[in-house]
Amino acid sequence: MIRLLCYNPRMITPKELEHIANLARIRIADDEKQSFLKDFDSILNYIDQLKKLPVLLENDNRMTMTKNVTRADTVKNTTPEDREMLLSEAPDRVGDFVAVKQIFGE
Amino acid sequence: MKINLRELTISKAIGHMQAGDFDAVELTEAYIDEIAKKNRDINAYLEVFDDALDGAKLARKRMQDGNAGVLSGIPCAIKDNILIKGKTASAASKMLQNYHAPYSATVISNLAREGAVFLGRANMDEFAMGGSTENSAYGVTKNPHDPERVAGGSSGGSAAAVAMDGALFALGSDTGGSIRQPASFCNLVGLKPTYGAVSRYGVMAMGSSLDQIGPLAKTVSDAEIIFSVISGRDANDGTTIDLNSIKPAARKGNRLKLGIPRHFLGGDGIDKDVLSAFDSAVETFRSKGYETKEIALPNIGASLPVYYILMPAEVSANMARFDGVKYGLHVDGKNVILDYFETRAAGFGREVKRRILLGTYVLSSGYYDAYYNRATALRRLITDDFVKAFADVDVIITPTAPSPAFKIGEKNNDPVSMYLEDIFTVTANLTGMPAMSIPNGFAKKSGKNLPVGLQLTGRHGDEETLFRVGKDFLNE
Repeated sequence: MIRLLCYNPRMITPKELEHIANLARIRIADDEKQSFLKDFDSILNYIDQLKKLPVLLENDNRMTMTKNVTRADTVKNTTPEDREMLLSEAPDRVGDFVAVKQIFGE
Repeated sequence: MKINLRELTISKAIGHMQAGDFDAVELTEAYIDEIAKKNRDINAYLEVFDDALDGAKLARKRMQDGNAGVLSGIPCAIKDNILIKGKTASAASKMLQNYHAPYSATVISNLAREGAVFLGRANMDEFAMGGSTENSAYGVTKNPHDPERVAGGSSGGSAAAVAMDGALFALGSDTGGSIRQPASFCNLVGLKPTYGAVSRYGVMAMGSSLDQIGPLAKTVSDAEIIFSVISGRDANDGTTIDLNSIKPAARKGNRLKLGIPRHFLGGDGIDKDVLSAFDSAVETFRSKGYETKEIALPNIGASLPVYYILMPAEVSANMARFDGVKYGLHVDGKNVILDYFETRAAGFGREVKRRILLGTYVLSSGYYDAYYNRATALRRLITDDFVKAFADVDVIITPTAPSPAFKIGEKNNDPVSMYLEDIFTVTANLTGMPAMSIPNGFAKKSGKNLPVGLQLTGRHGDEETLFRVGKDFLNE
């Protein structure tokens, strides 16, 4: 079983955390940052052990038994009832459309 | 007739109904009464469906018409991440608090076709991320064997529902052990099928190459019945396979061989009562005529770190859909993009955010090779270890979890100590092989008898051997 080796205090900087949160589209409050950094340190310390294992990186990164399964690109129409069910879940709706804020503008 | 829920199994219940001892409606009523007595304290169910009796009435009619399914009238709990058309499915998250499923999962359609009665939705760790159900946005689920302890996770509600006699079986999902570990904590049988055996259509994805849906039940025979109903190729899930096409050929001779990766069981993170229960189980198997053999799985020590790289990576992709646009919680930001930031900050709990961030990190530029690619390559090596071992043995046995149920709050301070609970279970998700936890006695802790589980892992597609060995061990 892999054990925790020496503890490296800082595995990830606050700036890196901000960058990741940005990529993940999650706003992290200032008072949350410290505890996320601490969690990250603990977790990354643990998984970092893998870097030390000798492994050949091949191009075919697949699980043993997987292959692609496709279906024909045909349209299956939605019934009016199902459309209504789907639209009624939308937080903001205009007729038969899901409404969103303007993307361009200002 | 006053129904003794404790002694029921699926076959016994069907036998009673066929004999006219009680009917499907009386059976469902009995479970609803039991839930009313216990759920306030245990919190296994987030919602009991007010139309559960309608399902029971339908089942009764089908039985009267001579048209019964194999699960007619059998009441079950469904994990909150499995869609039932028209019902709320929240994955125990604030993000989906008011979300109603527009369609049913294939596993649900299959169960309904066979007459099962859906009692309600079972509590879980939020979006299936956790090992204790403490990460639910709607409160923890207590272990019916000791209410100061967790029921396990992420399918804690499913396990507790059955263990408290609030359902005769439940469906859970398993990405790193989330069916098997709660089953072991609650003295149940829990099966994670071969990857691809059961359709994931209509089940909220956590780690798409790891997830499987499976039963939590009181006996292996019950788990087998449920598995036969929910499994099968599904046009709606391209990752489903026909097990018959990958099942191993019948082994010559009747004597099954059990493999024990003893080198992996020696750590001091493993509770000594769990280890002694395991050793007793090995003795039991030997006395029943099984051959046991020590095997080596050289890369197994890397399983947990590999899992905690691959799973968050897949989680980060699967959670991207929750943006407050088409469904779920919406929180306003200053513009459309900031809407996402606010919605996701408010809708996701701590553990979910942690895993999304971790996944985003390991997939980000500069780290992809060091973490994700490396983990994928190791995943293949781990799988190869198991395939090689199965040339020589039929079932690999280990404890299910390194400890019995821990106390609520005990593991809140350090995420890694919670992740270490998965040490024996993640491998089956990484390799795609079927694995089942079966009850293996009890450990006495602070005056309580806490269930301990034994895990059986089989070859791809070989659920049949797991059922056979499990039934034999439990003298079913």
